[in-house]
Amino acid sequence: MPDSEKPDRTEIELRRAALGYAGKRVFESLDLSIAAGRLTALCGPNGCGKSTALRAMRATLPAEAGDVLLRGRPISAFPARALAREVAMLTQSPSAPEEMTVEHLVSLGRYAHRRGFSADARADREAVAGALESTNLAHLADRAIGTLSGGQLQRVWIAMVLAQAAPVILLDEPTNHLDIAHALEVLSLVRRLGTEESKTVVVVLHDLNLAARFADEIIFFSGGRVAGSGPVDEVFRRELIEEVFGIECIVRREEASGRPYCIPLAAVPTRRDRLGHG
Amino acid sequence: MSLVAGASRPAAILERGGKFAILALVLAALAIASIGFGSSAMSVGRVLLAVVGEGQRTDTVIVWSLRMPRMLMAALCGAALALAGFALQRATRNALAAPSVLGIVDGAALGVMVFLLLFSNESNALIVSILWQPLAAASGALLFALTVVLLAVRTGAPPLRVILYGVALGALAKAGVTLFMIDGPVHRASQAAVWLAGSVHQARWSDLSTLAGALALLVPLAFLLTRRMDQLELDEQSAAATGLPVRATQLMLFALATCLTAAAVSFAGAIGFVGLVAPHAARLLVGGRAFGQAVAAALLGAAMVTAADLVVRLAFAPLEVPAGAVTAVIGAPYFLFILLRAGRVHA
Repeated sequence: MPDSEKPDRTEIELRRAALGYAGKRVFESLDLSIAAGRLTALCGPNGCGKSTALRAMRATLPAEAGDVLLRGRPISAFPARALAREVAMLTQSPSAPEEMTVEHLVSLGRYAHRRGFSADARADREAVAGALESTNLAHLADRAIGTLSGGQLQRVWIAMVLAQAAPVILLDEPTNHLDIAHALEVLSLVRRLGTEESKTVVVVLHDLNLAARFADEIIFFSGGRVAGSGPVDEVFRRELIEEVFGIECIVRREEASGRPYCIPLAAVPTRRDRLGHG
Repeated sequence: MSLVAGASRPAAILERGGKFAILALVLAALAIASIGFGSSAMSVGRVLLAVVGEGQRTDTVIVWSLRMPRMLMAALCGAALALAGFALQRATRNALAAPSVLGIVDGAALGVMVFLLLFSNESNALIVSILWQPLAAASGALLFALTVVLLAVRTGAPPLRVILYGVALGALAKAGVTLFMIDGPVHRASQAAVWLAGSVHQARWSDLSTLAGALALLVPLAFLLTRRMDQLELDEQSAAATGLPVRATQLMLFALATCLTAAAVSFAGAIGFVGLVAPHAARLLVGGRAFGQAVAAALLGAAMVTAADLVVRLAFAPLEVPAGAVTAVIGAPYFLFILLRAGRVHA
């Protein structure tokens, strides 16, 4: 790993964070850290708290106890707009009026950079143009978003997040509802952000093999805790995946990229099921 | 505003500018017509001369003491209601939100009824000045809006639920109004009925200056909030992720809409559906950023009430039919039209 020569700086850290919603705790005490400049995938079965952890990192879900730190500073201490300039997030099912144009939607990502009542500054226009360029959407700038395909629309949302020009980008299942070609296209784009623009990217991914293919690091969640975290090569192991997802599987390595992949074989009853919920 | 839809092309800028120009011209034409028509009709030339104070003495008196305040009252109330509706539709992200839907107008009506009930003697004469009536209307509106907001904050309800709270509270206020109407003396009932339907025929310069003073504060505030309203086109999570304090913004917009509504209905009565139709039509007409839509909504609202007042004077004279009756006749079918479209508002 060429990255291992760089000193590993921690971008986001959760310390004994209690997270949840009214009447339902998802994490009693969550500890994890996100390395700067890396692409980290959050993986785990449904309801394991991937999105909850992600929302805590953007402070849209405040921790009930413990600390959430951005570069060592409590995230709750950031004013709303200042935090938005540091951390951008694409939510799981974003929506906007279908008659809105692509350029207009992308420009909404600039909110935290605008001052008072002034018209769009040059920096805003450049950031929007840049975001449209890097998501390959410049030719669709004047189109209404309601007329786009699912893959194009997802790229528009990512462009909005890019226009926010934050060093940290959080993406909640950006490949949801996308067919495999569009999913690959979106993740290649996300991958490029990490390598070319040295962004810290955290992405919730449902598909294990996409995570193994594109991420630097994976954090596995299971039963309200971190079941394993680290570089893909270290954590993408058969025993861990079997434990986290309650399946039997085989892990192989793809020759060309050297990336591991997983072939699920069968679901196995969890220990709790076997013990009759005792 | 170079990021406005398609504004990179000069043709698009011209087209958008043209729409605003047409709206402004329509409003100007309606204003002149509103001053010109009445028990004695005047030509456009006579209207303009009288307005600048160069016309015949009788014309000048009629225009300045009767028709101008009435026209201005209609236009200002229309604009205020339209902006209130615009703010509510943005705050709730729902095209069905409007002052009359959220119980604010009914709250004002109840305020007026309670005022008439408390401050009349046995012979049905008011024992205090009628000038206090706007204050009563404003208190009723604020009280009901506050209740809706408190319910919304306490339960953390999504915008659609907030609308339903408003509908429920509005029904409650309406029931109260009906009760007072039936239970009270006839004179009071008819006096209240005109206010309830909404009318600008009794406009006075003193009322106008109060209203204008309130709007001088509220309208700039509305336009200051348009950038935040732009962000509220996004779902709440996404809007928050771009750095918008969503709940605080929604509260500000609710408060703004309530004050605008209270200011308008205090003087003109419960003119309905303007706050629903004008902002929605503005969105369809000009689209783009909230700033432009707010301008268009205000122009449309002003034009709607001015036109409605003109219609009641032309079609029903010498009866004084309230302008609110006309806006309701146009507005209610439009409400249905929005409902039918509502399923496909968001991508």
